[in-house]
This record gives sequence, structure tokens and C-alpha cells, in this order.
Amino acid sequence: MTLSALNADVIVDQLNAGEVTATDCVQHFLDRIQVHNAELNAFIRVSESALEQAEAIDQRRKAGESLGCLAGLPIAIKDGICVSGQPTTAGSKMLENFSPPYDATIVERLKSADAIIIGKTNMDEFAMGSSTENSFFGPTNNPWATNRVPGGSSGGSAACVAARLAPVAIGSDTGGSIRQPASFCGITGLKPSYGRVSRYGLIAFASSLDQIGPMTRTAKESALLMSVIAGFDPRDSTSSKEQVSDFLTSLETPLAGLRIGVCRDHLNEGLDVEVKTKINDAISVFKQLGANIEEIELPQTKSAIAAYYIIAPCEASSNLARYDGVRYTFRAQANDLEEMYRNTRGQGFGDEVKQRIMLGTYALSSGYYEAYYLKASKVRRMIKQDYDEAFKKVDLILGPTTPTPAFKLGQHTQDPLAMYLADIYTVSANLAGIPAISVPVEPSSTGLPIGLQLQGRAFEENTLLRAAHQFQNETLWHMASPSEPWRTQS
Amino acid sequence: MPETPEQPTVNQVAKLARIHLDEQQLTSSGEKLKQILEFVSQLEQAELPKDIEPFFGAIESVNAIREDNLQTSVPREKILDNAPESDGEFYLVPPVFRNTDS
Repeated sequence: MTLSALNADVIVDQLNAGEVTATDCVQHFLDRIQVHNAELNAFIRVSESALEQAEAIDQRRKAGESLGCLAGLPIAIKDGICVSGQPTTAGSKMLENFSPPYDATIVERLKSADAIIIGKTNMDEFAMGSSTENSFFGPTNNPWATNRVPGGSSGGSAACVAARLAPVAIGSDTGGSIRQPASFCGITGLKPSYGRVSRYGLIAFASSLDQIGPMTRTAKESALLMSVIAGFDPRDSTSSKEQVSDFLTSLETPLAGLRIGVCRDHLNEGLDVEVKTKINDAISVFKQLGANIEEIELPQTKSAIAAYYIIAPCEASSNLARYDGVRYTFRAQANDLEEMYRNTRGQGFGDEVKQRIMLGTYALSSGYYEAYYLKASKVRRMIKQDYDEAFKKVDLILGPTTPTPAFKLGQHTQDPLAMYLADIYTVSANLAGIPAISVPVEPSSTGLPIGLQLQGRAFEENTLLRAAHQFQNETLWHMASPSEPWRTQS
Repeated sequence: MPETPEQPTVNQVAKLARIHLDEQQLTSSGEKLKQILEFVSQLEQAELPKDIEPFFGAIESVNAIREDNLQTSVPREKILDNAPESDGEFYLVPPVFRNTDS
């Protein structure tokens, strides 16, 4: 089997056994990127030092040094996460030339594990979007159908893993930005519990919602990455001190007795017929695996999008206030300070970002705070309570990740509301702070991936990963590849 | 009932947000804002218990503080590498008040 056809845990085993060198491994993926990235635009930047790092790892291994648990494994990182010494752009003109003076905590951890960062992936600007069409660097195309979106905002990471330009990637998720592209691109994507993974070095969009997480072909690989990146970080004041589970050993525990809740409202109108069918088929698989399926209710789902599209823009308007031409590279021509702020922000931000800042600014302005932000935060409490109630009866909640498979490029760009409504199943997990994972189920009759979402109690990622892993032992949808030319030879 | 934004209010919001928008952008932005605000205003219909507390996020620690000891930080030169304009010590910016002579 060619390297790119292998899962990351197998690649790591082969690297450890000396069956392949880190240099050959990285070269293999760099070659694939060279050939295929132009058509996909999954990467904003390919690392210039990846081969050098690989050679260093090979030397150290030869010298008998003990290496980190991911030694030699190439990994792609969403460009909203700081990797020092090279540009981190957040998909924006504003940060096109910004070079972080430090690594994000998760990058430090991956480097300590001797992983090799092969490149930075494309994203919706400042993580605002569900299609990667809002990137200053142009859209990313879905490897399954290049006239369709890969999803967003972590579209580059999703496309990269689906097309095997890197074995695994890291994304971030504020309202679904890991799970929805994972769903559209036929891969696995995990949004951890809020506070589980440090946000230090993640360019902030909405601080009470953002989380970094793995994007991989399988749940097992996500578990492997989680074992490296999860855990308390004193540099992130929202980081949780909750004990980190061993995500890997619990994967094999059978699902007998696991209680899975299904919300019937989520499988009704508005849901694509094929998505509904494939999700129902998947429910049967979980039954076969020994899980008990129960009906639950999440009545506040109907208010979740409205609450999210007040809270997230409000927090964004605050977080993006720092981009004013003073400190972060880009500055527009101006005669005085205020003009500099307004011109810099007018020229440096794309339309969607400006729109959300305007929305957030309005909703937080004097006279409107109670009606919008405060009200939305009370609805947020209700959403959390819905989950608390549901998790008294069940251990996991199952449903579709998105209402439809990937839409066409340009389909929703004129109608932001239509784009926003596609987030209906994903935003609630961010609002409540609970973990959620998307895994592929059977693709549609036209060959487009469909994602199933599992949501769990806070800090119970191991239950999510275990259920996903058992599902993937039983089904093979996660091993399906897009058609040529990205299909890797087996 | 909060008013939906018309042209002057969009101007005000753009001013608060310190974002320069031309006439066309103001109109387009105003229309989109109106659309989205109409949508999110559905929350007004949400029936909430009287005593419900807002939830601002699953943040477990309040006032996460550290010992007040001097620690090393990122070197100044590294930070100033990203400065649009700097004298090596400070960020340089245009004057607060426009120089009427220029």
C-alpha cells in the first residue's frame, strides 16, 4: 500500500519499525501536494522546512534517541493556529504577512511529539464561514466534486485529509467548523469539550465557543492526536483542569448497554431524504453493536441558530477590534489615527467578516445589549439545560451533522442566511460546551459524503471516540476515497 | 422593539466598528443587517423562565490568576517584527489629530 493510503497510526508504526524513513514519508506527501494542491487549493502555505525536520528525525532515530509518539508523521494545521517563524494568516488579507512570535500550545505539543508540520491549510477568513469561500486566498474545492465546497471554516484541512495530501490535520470549531467540513469531505472530525484543548495561539473568533480539534480519516487517529494535544494549559485561562482520559485504550470497549438518544425532530422536514435514510441505516448499525436507542427531545434547537448568530458575532466584534493597523502588519494609508483604523479595517477585512463585526457591534451597542446578547445568552442557558436533561437518559446523542451533502461553490454566497441555517445541527454543541464528532456514513447516490454526528457529555470524548471507532470497525465508509486523481493506489 | 437599521444607523454602526464602507457597501451591508436582525429577532418569541440566568460559556474557573512574579515574555524585537511601523522600541502611528498644515 502506498503511504498516503495508510492511516496515521499505521504510518507511525512503520516509521518506528524503520520500515520507512521520515524523509521518504514527508517527500511522499510533498509530492502529492505538488501535484494536487493547485486544483484543490487546500494549502495556503507548504512548509519549507518539512524535509529538513524529517531528516533531523531520521538522524536522531539512527543515533538511538528516544522520539516522540508521532515522530515523523506529517500533519497539516489550519492557518488560524499560530506556527512561529512563518505566516499565519487566518485566511485574511489583514494577516497575510503576520509571522507569529510564538507557537500555539497545541503546535508546541505536536512538535514535542516530533510530528512534522507539512503546511497551513485554507480557511474561511477569521473562521467565519461554512464553505471556505470567504478566504482571501480563494476557495478550496471539495475533492469529491471540485465544483462543490469542502465546507468551512476548516475546509482546507478537510480537503487535505480527504485527498490524502496529509494523513491528518488540525482544525478549529466555533459553530461546526470541524464537523461540517468533515461531513462534506467524508472524514472524521472531533470538536472537543470547551476547555479540553488549549486555545493559546488560536487566532480568536468567539472566545466562549472556539475549540481546536483533530480531523482525520478515522476515530482512532483522532484519539491519537487528542492524546497529544488535550490537557490543561496555564496560558489559556479557560483551559480545564479536568483529567485527560486515555482516549486510545478505551476505544475497544464494546458498546453493549450504551444509551444513544435520537431527536426525532432532527430527522424530519428540512432534512435531505438521502441523509435521513443513511442516518437511519447507521442507527441500525449502532443497534447491532449493542447500543440502546431512545428518543429524546432538544426543544431549543429551533432557537440555536439565532442565539449563535448573535453571540458569535458579538464576541467576534470584540476579538477583532485589535486589528486596527497598529500592531499586526497590515496598515492602510491614512492621515490620522482614526482614519487609519477605519481604512485598515475597511480594506483588510473581507465582506463576511465586516458584516459580522457590524452585526456584533450593533447587538452590543447601548440600548440593544439586553434585547440581543443578553437574551441570546439566556437562550444559551436553555440549550445547555436541554442537553443536561437529555444526558440524564442517554450517554450520546446521534443525528445528522448537516441537513444536506456539500452544496455547490457560489450556491449560498449571495444569501448568508441560507448558509447560516445549514449550521442547525452543529452550533448547539458549541453553545453548551459539549464535545461532538462527525463520522462518515454511506455517501449519497451521487457520490457525495454524508456525516453522522455524535454528541456527548462534557469531557466524555472517550465515549464519542469509542462509539465512532466501533462504528468504523463495522462499516467502511471512512475508507472510501474521492475518485481520481486523488484516490491513492492501494 | 429594536428598530431595524436604516441608512443613518448603518453609518453609526460602521463608525462604532471603525470600519470604512463606501456608499454602495453601506447600502448592501444595511440590507444584510436588516435581514439577519429580522431572523435573530425571533428570539423575542422565545419563552424563557423569569429567573433564568444567562450562560456565557462553559468556563469553569473564575479569575484564573497566577502568582505575581516576574516572568520572561516574548522579546520586544520579535513582537515588533510584525509592526507596520516602528522605531525599534514603540509602534509608530499617524497623529491622533490631523495636522491641518499638511
